[in-house]
Amino acid sequence: MKKEKILEIVISVVKSLVETLPENQKFEVDQNTILFGKGSNIDSLSLVSIIVDLETTFSVDYDFDISLTDDRAMLREKSPFESILVMVEYIFELVNEK
Amino acid sequence: MYKDKIVLITGSSRGVGYNISNYFLKNNSIVIGLSRGSSMIDNANYHHFSIDLSKPDEIINVFIKITKQFKKIDIVINNAAVLTSQYSMIMPVKNAIDIVNVDLLAVFLVSREAAKLMRKNNYGRIINIGSMAASIESVGDSLYAACKAGVNTLANVMAKEYALYNITCNTLAITAIETDMLNQHSPEAKIKIKKLINDLPIPRMAVYEDVFNVIDFFASDRSSYITAQIIYLGGIN
Repeated sequence: MKKEKILEIVISVVKSLVETLPENQKFEVDQNTILFGKGSNIDSLSLVSIIVDLETTFSVDYDFDISLTDDRAMLREKSPFESILVMVEYIFELVNEK
Repeated sequence: MYKDKIVLITGSSRGVGYNISNYFLKNNSIVIGLSRGSSMIDNANYHHFSIDLSKPDEIINVFIKITKQFKKIDIVINNAAVLTSQYSMIMPVKNAIDIVNVDLLAVFLVSREAAKLMRKNNYGRIINIGSMAASIESVGDSLYAACKAGVNTLANVMAKEYALYNITCNTLAITAIETDMLNQHSPEAKIKIKKLINDLPIPRMAVYEDVFNVIDFFASDRSSYITAQIIYLGGIN
């Protein structure tokens, strides 16, 4: 799977999440959007929703069984949740190992 | 009450799960049954998936199929359980692992995979079939009772996590009921169960109507404010 496709999926999932937020909490989504930590507009429950939606989408629609919260993800020096772009890099790595 | 609701029931091929499946089918639901064997239920609205609930991978994989085929789940009945009643010092390790995997881990996995789907519709009812064993703590039931107590706690924590999505999690703890599992007990165990029944505040075995009554209560659309509750049959608390 190409990185462009993964980026499209991740942005679409995050945008879907943003649509469910109250008007005053909505924000613009692009590849630099921070998902977790300082500068993020996403609370922990919303992040859980994004992770579940990504894992489900890759598994059900593309037959890629990926886990975004296993030890490998958590122990990385650079958290996969840092930004959409970093997340895309991490997923790209995972799906191309399969 | 259940017309067009999609209901997933584990352990649907016999005993309590078989009877609950037929109850929902009679009430016009679409039933997804999960169990190790095949099913004798012959109904166009019944969809059987043969899986071993003691194997986490099989549970995850079956949910991928269910998600593709049904797109949603409204109600989950976590009913499947295995029971080896044995003094802990002589309980075979394989049986011990099976009890933990089916009676606790599978409940966790089925609930969370179902919740991922329910979340999308902002609606869900997760109902666990618990047991009087969690309260009575009979000799020989160490692991079974611990897992059933674990199921009570699991539902209470999940109730908090899923409340935001209008998903309720409750437990119906049943007493002894006429099933294949009960009939498999040794004569000594049957005497023990008879004594347990006689010691209940309401000294009789449960009947299916008792079970359906509480399921209806937990599953009702009107029960959106009922979550993290455990109802014991027969007067146990």
